[in-house]
Amino acid sequence: MKSKFLALAGGLLAATALAGAPAKADVKIGLIGGVSGPIAAMAPSMIDAAQLAFQQVNEQGGVLDGEKIVGVVGDSACNPQGGTDAATKAVNIEGVSAIVGPHCSGAVLAAAGSVTIPAGIAVVTPSGTSPEITGLDDKDTVFRTVPSDDYQGRALARTLKEQGYEKVAVAYINNDYGTGLANAFKAEFEAQGGEIAGFAAHEDGKASYRSNLAELADGGADTLVIFDYGDGTGLTILRQALENGFFEKFVGGDGMKSDAPIKELGAENLATFVASSPVGEKSDALAMFNDAFKAAGGDPDAIFVTTSYDAAFLLALAVEKAGGDKAGVPAALREVSNGEGEAILPGEWEKAKALIADGKAIDYKGAAGDHNFDAAGDVPGTYALFKVGGEGFEVITEMK
Amino acid sequence: MELIGLANYALFMAIFIGIYALLALGLNIQWGFAGLFNAGIAGFFAVGAYTSAILTSPAADGRLGGFELPFFVGWFGAMVAAALIAWPIGKICLRFRSDYLAIATIGVAEIIRLVIKSEAELTNSARGITGIPRPFGDLPYVESQAAYLALVIAVLAVAYLLVQRQFNAPWGRMMRAIRDNELAARAMGKNIEYRRLEAFIFGSALMGLGGALFAHFNRSITPEAIDPMVATFLVWIMLILGGSGNNRGAILGTAVVWIIWSMSEIATDQLPHEYAVKAKYIRLFLIGLMLQLVLRFRPEGLLPEPLRGKGRADEHSPS
Repeated sequence: MKSKFLALAGGLLAATALAGAPAKADVKIGLIGGVSGPIAAMAPSMIDAAQLAFQQVNEQGGVLDGEKIVGVVGDSACNPQGGTDAATKAVNIEGVSAIVGPHCSGAVLAAAGSVTIPAGIAVVTPSGTSPEITGLDDKDTVFRTVPSDDYQGRALARTLKEQGYEKVAVAYINNDYGTGLANAFKAEFEAQGGEIAGFAAHEDGKASYRSNLAELADGGADTLVIFDYGDGTGLTILRQALENGFFEKFVGGDGMKSDAPIKELGAENLATFVASSPVGEKSDALAMFNDAFKAAGGDPDAIFVTTSYDAAFLLALAVEKAGGDKAGVPAALREVSNGEGEAILPGEWEKAKALIADGKAIDYKGAAGDHNFDAAGDVPGTYALFKVGGEGFEVITEMK
Repeated sequence: MELIGLANYALFMAIFIGIYALLALGLNIQWGFAGLFNAGIAGFFAVGAYTSAILTSPAADGRLGGFELPFFVGWFGAMVAAALIAWPIGKICLRFRSDYLAIATIGVAEIIRLVIKSEAELTNSARGITGIPRPFGDLPYVESQAAYLALVIAVLAVAYLLVQRQFNAPWGRMMRAIRDNELAARAMGKNIEYRRLEAFIFGSALMGLGGALFAHFNRSITPEAIDPMVATFLVWIMLILGGSGNNRGAILGTAVVWIIWSMSEIATDQLPHEYAVKAKYIRLFLIGLMLQLVLRFRPEGLLPEPLRGKGRADEHSPS
């Protein structure tokens, strides 16, 4: 029996060796996401969006001397064990030039700490929103195209105050996403003179949140701010709050700007619901991405698809800029998106390639924002507040 | 693919196998020796990881920490903390018989996980702790991994030798006697509650040590790492597959499960691109299938528990 397993392990080793030999003249970029695990529902469209960027690059002449970009999908399972395993394989076996992902903050922290920072490989996470990522000692290799939760929470607090919300209760999902948003929101809302009349975390996946809601409503607020996912627990909370009349007005973070509440609850019941979400600063950038992603069969409103696309496209630009040198990708990433030079919109690969060949500066303006990285590799992000209209979500105001 | 890449990958896998082997050894003391169905491995893993993280990481706003002690103090602290947590839990829960104990320990692990996830002052709640120093972490990539692996192997070797020694000692015989026939052991004057508590605490301390090694390797620890799926049930699969009651089996099972888990992804990557996302689930299926096959055709595991004396002659299979 033992020998059988040895044979099996040997077979797998052989498969590894075969797998490791890359087709010549391909540039590989790792797409590490939570394919299995808690965000399994979100991960496929995020990976599709990143693949769309590579497809556009390949259709428009490829990178460097006409080489193709290949996205190598790895499964981080949304935990550190899976994240480090997938990153190690991507870096060492596949020999990727850079990595889009991992999707979950815990996996980003672990994969960066044990694999990509020592190896000097650039990482751009499209959805790791934890403020802890900002403070990583990363030798300038860890970036993200999604703003830190800290930023969105503060922007939402200021905007709500401007819109005349004075007294709110906050319900947030107990993970890094919800905790980060809620704490930043609370700090800023109170600093602006608003009142937080209830503040409580909840675990996901329960059947009823009525007792949580009743407790929050005791504070006397008429507005409930929900930091959760609109196709998960956030929907349950919103429904039960509406059914039982605990609150009159509802506010959501970007996780709540999902089509699920509209489909499930009906737009007519969501007249008092607003949600914040990142938007492209140049609106035509977002429109270009939306058209391309729709044409490719994707849903452009799915969460984090714009940031995934931008991360992939930016890395392709950086690889081109660095001339294929892996160690130069992180520095090149800053150069292709520092706010100076000719604007490049999603999908404009030929134009960008020509400009880089001429040695001119380019500046990528992405579907989810301009992505001018700050010193920590974070982006400030551009947000808008949305309300539910007849045609889905409509912008009320920009958030500052 | 370069040779250095393969070496890096092999080193990485060996480190993970070493860390999980510690967990499996700990479980082997509890289940293999003493027959205690502990389904709360993740809880002790977490206590160890966070204790060491708090003891060794630099100061951060809003949470306990900033002691910046050397890593070995952290690792020792992890074992002590896991043992201290295990003591009251064992005192209360070990009165239950096997399946009730399993339910109680799942509950305890879940309580520990939720406390860690919620107490910002203690563990920085859902954001986790970063900036944990890795021994030899300043070396270049390959050397750093190799040095860490040497540390892990040294720790594992010490743990293995000690556990193996206990297994062959009168203590080990007594534990098996209690496991196989509680009444007979009691009739011979053994203090069953006390001995069970011993096994529970020793096993938990090893799990805590495994957690500490894990946190230092990743330089961070977040609540996602203590998900029951990857920190409890995976370890059970490793032990059952390798052979409970056999320390070498526990280590072999860990190696087999982890190698298949990690390498099968490389194999499934050979499928056409449109299946790239779906193929990831084949890994989960493979692990499940392996467990089924082992349970069906070799329920005692790859390396069965060594039988001694009359037991060897009778060849009756222990539980």
